[in-house]
Amino acid sequence: MEFAWTESQQRYREQVATFLEDNLPDDWFDTYCHGLGSPQQIDYARIFCPKLAKAGLLTPQWPAEYGGRDGEPWEQFILAEELWSWGEPRGPQYMNVNWIGPALMRFGTAEQKAEHLSRIATGEVIWCQGFSEPQAGTDLAALQTKAERIGDHYLINGMKIWTSYSYKADWCFLLARTGPERKAISCFLVPMNSKGVSVVPFPGLPEYGHLNEVFFEDVEVPLGNLVGEEGKGWEVITYALSYERVGLPRYHWGRKVLDTAVAQLQAEGRFDDPMVRAHAGRIVSKFEAARVLTYLVVDQRVKRTPDTTDPNVQRITAADACCELMNFLMEYLPDCLSGGERYLELFYRHNIPATIAAGTYELQLDLIAQRGLTLPRGR
Amino acid sequence: MDLELNEDQSMLISALQSILDRYRELPSEHRRDRSFYSLDLDNQLLTNGFLDAVRTPGMGALEAALVIAEAATAPVSVEVGASALIAPHITDAILPRPIVLISGDLGKAQRYLNVAKTALMDVGDDILVIAVEAANVEAVDTIYAYPYGRFITPPDLSKAQRLGKAAVAPFRQWSRVALAAECAGLMRTAVDFTVDYVKQRRMFGTTLGTYQAVQHRLAQCHQIARATHYLAMKAAWSGDPMDASAAACFAQQHIQKLTFDLHQFNGGMGVTNEHKLHFWTYRFRALQSELGGANGAAHEIADLLWGPVEAPRTPDTPALREAARRKGGAAKTPGMARHLDPALT
Ligand SMILES: Cc1cc2nc3c(=O)[nH]c(=O)nc-3n(C[C@H](O)[C@H](O)[C@H](O)COP(=O)(O)OP(=O)(O)OC[C@H]3O[C@@H](n4cnc5c(N)ncnc54)[C@H](O)[C@@H]3O)c2cc1C
Repeated sequence: MEFAWTESQQRYREQVATFLEDNLPDDWFDTYCHGLGSPQQIDYARIFCPKLAKAGLLTPQWPAEYGGRDGEPWEQFILAEELWSWGEPRGPQYMNVNWIGPALMRFGTAEQKAEHLSRIATGEVIWCQGFSEPQAGTDLAALQTKAERIGDHYLINGMKIWTSYSYKADWCFLLARTGPERKAISCFLVPMNSKGVSVVPFPGLPEYGHLNEVFFEDVEVPLGNLVGEEGKGWEVITYALSYERVGLPRYHWGRKVLDTAVAQLQAEGRFDDPMVRAHAGRIVSKFEAARVLTYLVVDQRVKRTPDTTDPNVQRITAADACCELMNFLMEYLPDCLSGGERYLELFYRHNIPATIAAGTYELQLDLIAQRGLTLPRGR
Repeated sequence: MDLELNEDQSMLISALQSILDRYRELPSEHRRDRSFYSLDLDNQLLTNGFLDAVRTPGMGALEAALVIAEAATAPVSVEVGASALIAPHITDAILPRPIVLISGDLGKAQRYLNVAKTALMDVGDDILVIAVEAANVEAVDTIYAYPYGRFITPPDLSKAQRLGKAAVAPFRQWSRVALAAECAGLMRTAVDFTVDYVKQRRMFGTTLGTYQAVQHRLAQCHQIARATHYLAMKAAWSGDPMDASAAACFAQQHIQKLTFDLHQFNGGMGVTNEHKLHFWTYRFRALQSELGGANGAAHEIADLLWGPVEAPRTPDTPALREAARRKGGAAKTPGMARHLDPALT
């Protein structure tokens, strides 16, 4: 057991940091302040990601045959830590790299790989995840969107909700029902400009860009856009979600946000209060817990350790830390949600759904209890 | 980075486990005690070199912390942290042991004092080494699952050896690491013990462990134990005071939840000495307030990261803004970065 970065990992981190210093524009902070899912940031991601790709930094851990350079999984995390500390200039493209690409590498046809992996690896494309529906959130297998096979295509009808970034997306990684059995679900790659697809954003508490309804009315999708076998989509999703759920390096971002909050309290002469200091210190310990557990999960991924529930443990640890930081902001800097420091507001609003999206907190606890602690499934 | 034990560490821990396996049950005459200090296990650890990791080439503080955590899994108590991790970081002398750590009021009951041969005392600007005379100590009755003792007459501090001001910071730092490592072993065992119990105990025609209300809280307890373990090990490996305070702060702020949930799920059985749960829970309970507790560690973190209270304050700025300034872009101060984006409102 040891916790050191190797020399090459340190070099890689410096390379990323230098790249960001050199390439982010002077007004990047303004762009960032519109929020991760904002039109401004998504548009900027289309400029930034190709540059990142050219520098060999967008998909370093992907195999060389798919546009990567066979880097180790640690590189993906170092990259994510650095990028999140700058406000994630990849915009939604982190999803492409983290799970859409790997799912296509595993289950995609040769044509799908050729078409999509190279476009993801060059940073040109925005995807969205079309899983959840109004009646199918935690219980994803209850989804109703239907795909009927008719001749040389599937006909898709139904709706998705909370589909982040879909209002700007080029493609949707869609789940639809292809049979009456509960898990007769299939995965499709659907161009968002297909006839019959419409997106309606709606307002809410999180930052802009996440809350959208996506309607599919008699959308024709070629048979070649099915991923994996028909009716076996569950396998694809399980694989994809295992990549998605390692989660974002919220600790890195959270620590920076806490520094900003403390700086503001110091400037206002309010950080000498022992209660406030103790509260801030406790939050650091929670983010450090999330950090070390994230490293544990990455290490397990590097070693291909058979499934553990440590990713779920890491998720709830990070969520706890974020909730505590949000609480800190509400106790001491409430004006961050009413015209105050935008950097703090963005963190708060981004993390409102941290315990809901990508597998709820309760779902993580179920998995830890039943798979990790082998407690029996019951009531 | 490699978060698995290497071959040497695995061998160390499995050798320790095979010794501990002889102490998983208490001697029958102590079966119903509130705590039991095993002099026999103490001697085994000492003579087999388990307390020497810090001074052994090729090993170090991390190995010592692994030993502390593992030794805590036994229901019997034995002093490991002060001997294996703290003392070797503040003195080259091999101190008579067991060692008791004292900070604060000498008149109060101290953990391990009635079995200790040496006391290390934090007096603020120095660490004193005090020879403990058994005749000057009386045992104190407690429900904590460690032995506690009190000086009959306060020892003469002028006779104590002084380790100097430089020993204070490492004393506190390594005490926090030892505390977190010990909590990690205690927490893991108490959670496992309770998981086994709720798998067997039946109520309303099913085992308790099938209820989601039970499952979720146990999953959280498992999370706390797991995080505490890796925080403690990272702190031992890095030797960084921030890591030490983060580990202790995390462990100590969650002890209340673990005590509550684990006792809750063991029901009435859990409050009997015979059931054994208290051998772990009332050890971490005893550690909850040591070294200033979670708030003490949290203040240490605040001092390290943001400067002590008296220091002149220079507001820190996020990387984003710093970089904007370096690049000659408009420097943005809090409050200026307002954007009237109708989409966001
Ligand atoms: C900001 C945001 C972005 C999102 N982005 C996307 C996206 O891009 N693509 C996408 O497909 N989806 C997205 N989602 C949807 C997200 O995945 C779902 O919201 C999530 O799966 C929960 O489903 P639900 O909202 O229907 O809650 P519900 O399933 O109704 O759950 C409500 C509450 O009940 C709890 N609960 C449910 N079942 C159980 C149970 N068996 N035991 C105990 N408790 C239970 C849940 O944990 C939760 O706390 C997003 C959501 C948000 C808020």
